[in-house]
Formats: sequence, C-alpha cells, structure tokens
Amino acid sequence: MKNIIRNIFILLLLVSCSHDDSEIVSYENPEISLVIPLGFPEFNNAVYNNIPTKYGVELGEKLFFEKKLSTDNTVSCSSCHIQANAFSDTNVQAIGIEGRLGFRNTPSVQNLAFINFYNWDGSRLELENQTLVPIITHEEMDSSILEVIGKLEAESFYKELFYKAFGDDDITADRIYNSIAQYEYTLISSNSKYDSIKRNEGKKFTEREALGYQVFQEKCISCHSTELFTDQSFRNIGFPINPNANEAGRSRVTGDPEDYMSFRVPTLRNIEVTAPYGSFGQFATLKEVLDYFDNGVLTADNLDPIFKDNNNRIRLTEEEKNYLIDFLKTLTDYKFIDNNI
Amino acid sequence: MKNIKKGIAAVFVAIFTLTSCTEDESVATMNNVTLAFNNTFKGNTIVLGDATSTEATVNTSAEGQVHHFSELKYVISNVRLLNSDGIEVAYNVSDLDNGATVVDQSKEETLEYVLNNIPVGEYTQIKFGLGIETALNTLDEVSFPSFYATAGANDTQMHWEWGTGYRFTKIEGFYGADNNTLSIHSGSTVVGTEGAYTQGVDAYRDITLSLSENAIVGNNAPKIMIDADFDKLLSGEANTITLGDSNATPSIHTANNMVLFVDNIGGNGDDNITGMFSVNSVEN
Repeated sequence: MKNIIRNIFILLLLVSCSHDDSEIVSYENPEISLVIPLGFPEFNNAVYNNIPTKYGVELGEKLFFEKKLSTDNTVSCSSCHIQANAFSDTNVQAIGIEGRLGFRNTPSVQNLAFINFYNWDGSRLELENQTLVPIITHEEMDSSILEVIGKLEAESFYKELFYKAFGDDDITADRIYNSIAQYEYTLISSNSKYDSIKRNEGKKFTEREALGYQVFQEKCISCHSTELFTDQSFRNIGFPINPNANEAGRSRVTGDPEDYMSFRVPTLRNIEVTAPYGSFGQFATLKEVLDYFDNGVLTADNLDPIFKDNNNRIRLTEEEKNYLIDFLKTLTDYKFIDNNI
Repeated sequence: MKNIKKGIAAVFVAIFTLTSCTEDESVATMNNVTLAFNNTFKGNTIVLGDATSTEATVNTSAEGQVHHFSELKYVISNVRLLNSDGIEVAYNVSDLDNGATVVDQSKEETLEYVLNNIPVGEYTQIKFGLGIETALNTLDEVSFPSFYATAGANDTQMHWEWGTGYRFTKIEGFYGADNNTLSIHSGSTVVGTEGAYTQGVDAYRDITLSLSENAIVGNNAPKIMIDADFDKLLSGEANTITLGDSNATPSIHTANNMVLFVDNIGGNGDDNITGMFSVNSVEN
C-alpha cells in the first residue's frame, strides 16, 4: 500500500514537473530584448522573473485593452491609461465603472520596467502584484479574478493567445498578471527632443528651452533626477490635501508618521500631456503648479527640507516659469504617445 | 510548485482517509471542537446599534469616552490546539476556505466556529491568529474561493483591495456625546516574506490562550467559550487611546495609527499574546 502511495506521489511530482517545463519559453515565442536607454537606471528585479516574450506582450496588450476585466464590461486598463496621455488620462481623479470616482489621479504608464515603487504611495514593489488591484477595487473595475478568467475562457481566441504565450491554453490568474506586466514593461519612453539632444542626434534646444533647462537644473533636479526625471523618493511637498479620509500618502503603507501625505516624486517625462497634476489632480496646468511652488506650499511637520529650509517656497520669476514649461515640453515623446508617428 | 504542494496534500488526505477507515467505528478517533466567541465590553455581550440606538451596549473608555458599535467583524485563522503531551494539532492552517472565518457580531451563526475532525485527546491550550498571516493574505480567489466570497460579501466588506489582502478587523460605530463616527479597520501592508519584509506594517497577531480546563475530545465534542473584550480597543495594555479627528475615522487606515489599536486587541506578540481574548470556560 505504502509503495502505491509513494508511486502516486512520484507520478504527481513528474506530472507537475513536466507541466512546469512546458512553461519554459520555446523558440517559437522569443524573448523581447528590452534595451535600457542611455542613462536610464537598471531594471526592477521583477523584470528578470517575468521577461517579456513576443506572445506574452501580445496577450498583455490585448488584456490591457479588454473591457471584460471589469464587472459590467465597460472599463479596461486603457480606459484610464490612454496612450495619447502617456497612458494616463485627463480626469482629475480616476473614473471607474458606472462613473465611480477613485480618490487619486491616474498615474502614467511609462518606463515602469525601471521603477521600484508603483502607485502614488509605493504600495506595490512589483508590477505583477499590481494588476489585481484595479480589477477588484469597487471604484475601478469591481470584478474578481475568477469572474475575469470565466469571461476569457469563453473566448476561443484567448485560449490561443494563452497557448502561444505560455505553452498551453490554461487561463490562470498569474498568467493574466504576468502578461499585462510584460506589455507594460515594453512601454518605454526615451525618444523625446530632450533625448535626441542628449544623444547628439543633431537637434538643439531653442534659446528659451535652454534657459528652462538651466532653471530646471537649479531648482528642480534634486527631486526630479536621473533620466527618469524622478529620484523615486517619497516626499511631502505641501500640496493641497485630499479631503478623502482614506488618504494618508505613503504612511498608509509604511506606518511611519514621517511619511504622512508623502507621495512618490512623479516622472516629468511626457508631462505636457498628463495634466491635471498632483495626487488627486489639484492643478489643471503646469503654470498652476509652478505658481503654487512660487507662492508657498502648505506647512507640515514632515514637509520636505527643500521647502522647509526655504520658507516653504521655490521662488520662480514669471520668465523662469515660462522657460521651464518650454523645457518640460521637450520631454514629450511623440512616438510614444502616438503609434502613427 | 503549487501543483506539487497540492499533490502532497492530496496524498496526505488519502493516507489519512485510509487510516481512518480501518479504525473500529464504535470508538471515536476524532470529533469536533467548537469555538464560541462572545464579543463583550468588560464582560457584557455587545449589542450593536446605529447612532441614536437606545439598545446598543455603551462602553466608557479609560479616558472617559463613551462609545458603541454598529458593526463588529474580525478574521480568525491559523487555529492550533495543543494537547496534554505538548503536541500541536494544526487545523487547516494553510487553507483559508477550511481554516479561517469571519466573526461577525451581526450574524449569530458566525459566532461559533466548528473545527471538524480533531483527533481525540485532552487539549490544554489554543492558539489562533487575529487576521491572516502574510503568506496567505493575498486575496487569492483561485485558491480559496469560498473564504474570498464570504469575506468580500456586500454586507461583510473584509477585502482590503488596495493592499491585495483582507481586512483583519472592521469596526464601525460612534463615540462621544455627539455620536461622532468611529471607523477602525486593520490589515497588513507588508511586502515580502516573513522575517524579510521590505516595507509595511504587519497587523496579524498570534494569540495563545490556556484553557480554563482541558478540552476533552472523545465521544463528546467540547466547546471552548472565548471572550473578546472590546473595551481593550481604546483601553488596552499597550495603549490608552482618545478618539479624535485624527484617529477615529478612516484616517486610522494610516498604518501608524492602526497599530495602536491592533496591539490593544491582538497583543504585541511579545509579552502580550492574549490581547482582548480570554477563555471563559470549556464545555466538555
């Protein structure tokens, strides 16, 4: 009897192993070679555990635009993450099914392969673990992963896409999460005018842009540093406070009072097309943001030292603001926001 | 890997079933143990009520704040019984569908949780978790559809979506002369594996209670009466809390405020491993 059980066990092991083996990407589904653009930081380690493949990305893209991810089939990832806006949207706060209002501004989806903290509060450290959140959140898609799997299984073309991407046609939660992350990893923006100039591809800043770049280096770069234009730190910079009682910024995650109302420094890439600005869309225009910095921000115990040590302000003349905005517009990557360019 | 684990579990279940069948049926080899939760304020069973309720049980905190609850829910998981030989019997500790429950004061049937098929023996101690350990706290509907559905039901709302985990406690109510709203939720925000968390706060608390008398599992199925004294919420061993604008409403979701409540009702996992819980009696 014992032997039989042992044999069953061994058999099970073998079955499981051969099953796992089939997930190893075959030559028919080649890996996509992601290139780290000049000066960009290393990939998030999670990328190496979920390396994009040709069909993984194809499936992920299909799912990214799939409204069946929401309970009433009206909202997809792409409803809020619109390419023309660097995969953000123009709403003050995100809008889910039935017009339900989320409590934060939709962040852009770009260069996420290089980011180590996701969401305004950095609650997620791996993109694969983020996908479920909008699917189940009441104010977003209000669905469940089993509901999603059920809907996808009813579509024969999804079976084929999963087969191509993963070696068999099982539609699993992890494959949904991984393929969407794979697609998002390929959304790399590094072809703005700024990038061309940095790479000496023959373009030049206008005089005003160059002056703006100077202001940027003097007054902005300590937070918006690196080629991602964010140092990925969390800071309370005294922006108007979200009245939603659920909001606490980063301290909602860490439990550290020092993180109260601190948010991840956002990237400035494609900033021209990601208005409104701030964690719940406090500012309609870049000019409004700069005016706010110039006039003075809200005080707080944990206000970032850069403001605290300078009377809660970043002083900017009207000219400087205009130059700065001209420079920021050189960070727009037209190829990234429009497939037809 | 998951498949292998499932395979192992299946084989164990098979062995277990086969062994059981060969036993003489007239002598019990296992029986049920019922955990009965009595949610109280200082020993008085809590009656829930809305803001102006005259029936609701009103409690007064150490700081003199009156308060009462309209909603009271918490998750129990990871149940283990220690027998008189010092051997621990773990009850479906890796299976939320069969080893975890939401105690909901508004639903009488949830106040008793039956542990099925506990091996005969004398038990001296019970351990359980208030909340869910991080490894299982992932809102994994595929693995545990039944618990996921129970916890996520519209009248239960124990999903903490943004953290892809469960709410461990959900307490709604009112405090002070003006019946201001209190809304105290807890849940874990940790990322990573136990012992190597990269960020966040662990709101899971492991509770250990000695039984007032041994629970004897045999031909009888004992019932362990557990008191949960919610007076401790504001007036605990760890913290004396005064509710106000900064900590009574959902802003307590800021993990730093949350931990004060969690340590009060769940202990600090160090020199306090009972929190608000105590064993009132054992019915054999």
